[in-house]
Amino acid sequence: MDIISQLQEQVNTIALLALNTFGALQRDAPPVRLSSNYPEPTTNPSEETINITEHTKTTSATLVQAAKTFDALVAALPLSGEDEQLKRIAELQAENEAVGLELEKQLQGAERELKQVQELFNQAAHNCLNLKKPD
Amino acid sequence: MATSSSYPPPPPYYRLYKDYLEDPKSAPEPPPPIHDATYPLFGATYTTDVVLPSLEDQGVRQLYPNGPNIDFKKVLQSLNRDLQLHILELADVLVERPSQYARRVEDISLIFKNLHHVLNSLRPHQARATLIHILECQIQRRKQAIEDIKRRREEAQRLLKESLQTLDGHQP
Repeated sequence: MDIISQLQEQVNTIALLALNTFGALQRDAPPVRLSSNYPEPTTNPSEETINITEHTKTTSATLVQAAKTFDALVAALPLSGEDEQLKRIAELQAENEAVGLELEKQLQGAERELKQVQELFNQAAHNCLNLKKPD
Repeated sequence: MATSSSYPPPPPYYRLYKDYLEDPKSAPEPPPPIHDATYPLFGATYTTDVVLPSLEDQGVRQLYPNGPNIDFKKVLQSLNRDLQLHILELADVLVERPSQYARRVEDISLIFKNLHHVLNSLRPHQARATLIHILECQIQRRKQAIEDIKRRREEAQRLLKESLQTLDGHQP
């Protein structure tokens, strides 16, 4: 896939990862104390809470890794100025024109020679047939 | 009458070409290609000027400076850094002041829109680079063909000379 499409895919991946990170946090977050009138919510440190912190760490690491990949892809972009490109295209078109004319010339010469050789071959075959006396 | 039915019949122009085989000039010429005009297509109007609409046209604020020559790499990298910062800010806001998430989410989506617009505006550059590559390949193929033809012609000349010598040698 070309590099611009890869960059676009990477942007979409970053968006998806951010979405998933925040979604998982919102879904799995333990209850929070809203006001001092209410008692502290019972937080039983089970393996689920440990899983949540581990999960958060891995998802955020993935997000940062995706951002680094994006930076690496941007650094790998082969960019050059528009004027340079247009100049190169004009040069290549002129060269293509010249090479095309040369090819045309060679083709015509080759076709001429082919016709000559075919003519000679026809004559030789004709002579050969005429020389052969039927028994 | 036939433009808006769900299964329209084919256009009736085929009747004009009844005698095309006998007299190619009796039938009308095909219409010329549309040049710089608007045309209707399946009920919607399109123009022939296919250009990427700028961000202002879509009502989106542009976050990077717009000059004649944009340094795409720098813009992309700074937008990426901005994005990461905004994601961190969103996480902070969700902890401290959860009711103010909307502004942050809007900022993040604005950055994403800018990112995609920058990437889309790189496509003409890619098209020109593809054209350069195609031209180079074509020139190389043509040069190769010229070499091949030259070689074959020389080979044919050589064979003809040899056969002439052989024939001359066999002549009584």
